[in-house]
Amino acid sequence: MNEQAPAITARGLTKKFGDFTAVNQVDFDVHRGEIFGFLGPNGSGKTTTIRMTLGLLQPTEGSVSVLGMSVHKETEKIRPRVGYMSQRFSLYNDLTVLQNLNFYGAAYGLKNSLLEERIQDALVMAGLEGREQTKTKDLSGGWRQRLALSAAILHRPDVLFLDEPTAGVDPISRRAFWDLLYILVAEKITVFVTTHYMDEAEHCHRLAFIQRGKIIAYGSPAEIKRDMMKGQVLEIAPSDAARTVKILRDTHQTGKLPLEEVELYGSLVHVVSPDVEKTKAGITAALSEEKITIDQMEIIEPSLEDVFIACMRE
Amino acid sequence: MSFRHIWAVTRKELNHIIRDRSTLILVLLTPTALLLLMAYALTADLKNVPIAVLDYDRSALSRSFVSQITAGGDLELYAQVDTFDELEDLLMHGKVKAALVIDPAFSSDLMALRGLPLQIIIDGTEPESGGFAVDHIAWRAEEFVNRALEDQIQAMGSMTSLQPIDLRVRTWYNPSLKPRVDLIPGLISMVLGFPALSVALTLAHEREHGTLEQLMATPIGRAELLLGKMIPYVLVGLVNVIVIPILAMIWFKIPFNGNPILFFFLSAIFLFAILSMGILIGVFMKTQAAALALSFLLIFFPGFFLTGIFFPIASMPEIMRLEALGLPGTHYAIITRGVFLTAIGLDVLWPYAVMLVLLGFAFTGVAALFFRKKLG
Repeated sequence: MNEQAPAITARGLTKKFGDFTAVNQVDFDVHRGEIFGFLGPNGSGKTTTIRMTLGLLQPTEGSVSVLGMSVHKETEKIRPRVGYMSQRFSLYNDLTVLQNLNFYGAAYGLKNSLLEERIQDALVMAGLEGREQTKTKDLSGGWRQRLALSAAILHRPDVLFLDEPTAGVDPISRRAFWDLLYILVAEKITVFVTTHYMDEAEHCHRLAFIQRGKIIAYGSPAEIKRDMMKGQVLEIAPSDAARTVKILRDTHQTGKLPLEEVELYGSLVHVVSPDVEKTKAGITAALSEEKITIDQMEIIEPSLEDVFIACMRE
Repeated sequence: MSFRHIWAVTRKELNHIIRDRSTLILVLLTPTALLLLMAYALTADLKNVPIAVLDYDRSALSRSFVSQITAGGDLELYAQVDTFDELEDLLMHGKVKAALVIDPAFSSDLMALRGLPLQIIIDGTEPESGGFAVDHIAWRAEEFVNRALEDQIQAMGSMTSLQPIDLRVRTWYNPSLKPRVDLIPGLISMVLGFPALSVALTLAHEREHGTLEQLMATPIGRAELLLGKMIPYVLVGLVNVIVIPILAMIWFKIPFNGNPILFFFLSAIFLFAILSMGILIGVFMKTQAAALALSFLLIFFPGFFLTGIFFPIASMPEIMRLEALGLPGTHYAIITRGVFLTAIGLDVLWPYAVMLVLLGFAFTGVAALFFRKKLG
């Protein structure tokens, strides 16, 4: 076992289900002690990748290693050193909080005073002290999610895998959950997290963006913004946003203006262009022709969402 | 193989079972309820089977014969008809299950010792009732002939060759010929296999709720998981292994001639075999509904038809006999009957015990082998 080895290394990882290629030649490295985000729309291959990385699913091609050990050959050695929280919080709803923690602790070989101590820590972390005898199904989504996280780290894993941990949880609980993840990272736990929330991507140290089984962007959020964005983002606040989008897309199609992207963001419109200064005048002219006034127009720092939408268009 | 891992799973499963009282009661009482239900449904004595009579003879003798066969309430005279068409009509509409036609020569033939000209027609769609009617009429007829001819026979004095046939049947193991005595040990072997259903469902339940995936990611091995899941149901099953025979002895007055400790021990082996079968079903079925359907198909229906409880295995086609050998219930039915009724011991029963052990290991082995590939 190599303590200096990356937390996870995947090379040419591929999974086919019949004719359908769910994951296609995926390469990535996850460094020790980082939060690595695995992003992508639903059905893009995130869960399949996480399952192959955990040894729950056999890859069709390629290899993946965790902590320098081959997942295929040394699954049993890896298991005690990783934690996993699968998509649906993976707790037994008919059992109590304490019964769930006792079970997962025992499953990872914890016993006696160490188990009691870790369960106490978990209860504090999940904020469930005094509710040990509550049935898990009587907890709200946010509590269940924090309990599942606490259960997944009872054995203090080196690498923690989280599959869409915040799906269907309210924004405040999501925020609290990410705060917990930062505490874990401070304790040298590596976190591999899948999500389809773009705002969560900004919280990760590094990211891979997967679409239709292929990684289309990879690196830190800043790197991805720098490398993947073809041009700058112009944010426009017009009097009629919906019509503005339509007009600008038409000008793009007829080739009048060099616009890469035109996207609606609430009452705002984001336009991506290689040469923003030149297009400003053209946009103003095109919109005033249609009697649309522009309240504000400025160049902004692209969000990851801008970047990913740009990536997905290609 | 780590006992700590197995125990972790077992304790969790026990928590599931005792989590609320209704589930526990259901698991513990279902075999009892099934036994009572089946025992009464399958062995109820026939009473008041309706028959029709067409009497062409219309003599004092024929009338007294009819009143004699319908005495005692086993057969009920639904109608006395005058034509064959009426009789057929009653049979066709299911109003009667059997019909008796008395020949015009009934009394003359009888008195001349030429025989007893009778015709019995039964509804073949209900052979149980029809067969019962035939047996009953034949039995009453014999009685009737004996009595009617008493005087003649005495008058003939030495002509002993004319004595009506007197057939004496002796039945072993079930001397009183109450159907239940024979049937109930077989039924017991069936209802004790009930926990196999629960264990098949518990794996499918974990699959449906996504907790199975979580379990597979822990260091708990596949065989440890399967064994850990089976143990609680073996325990539940053993409670019934004690309760059910006591119930059968008290309620149905079934003798228990064998060794109770041997029975308990062999039952534990049977539970291992049948629960392995349940686990195997759970491994292959993705949903609880599918697991339930397959359990009925593979455990309960064959339990009825193939294990020899109701239909003798010797009379089955070759392929079904082989299938019967692969069912734990077949071997266990022989064990329960043997221990209850004939007090035979391990010297006779050991091949069946060995078969159960082999089947158990075979099922668990195949389950553990295929479990690996079944995620995703």
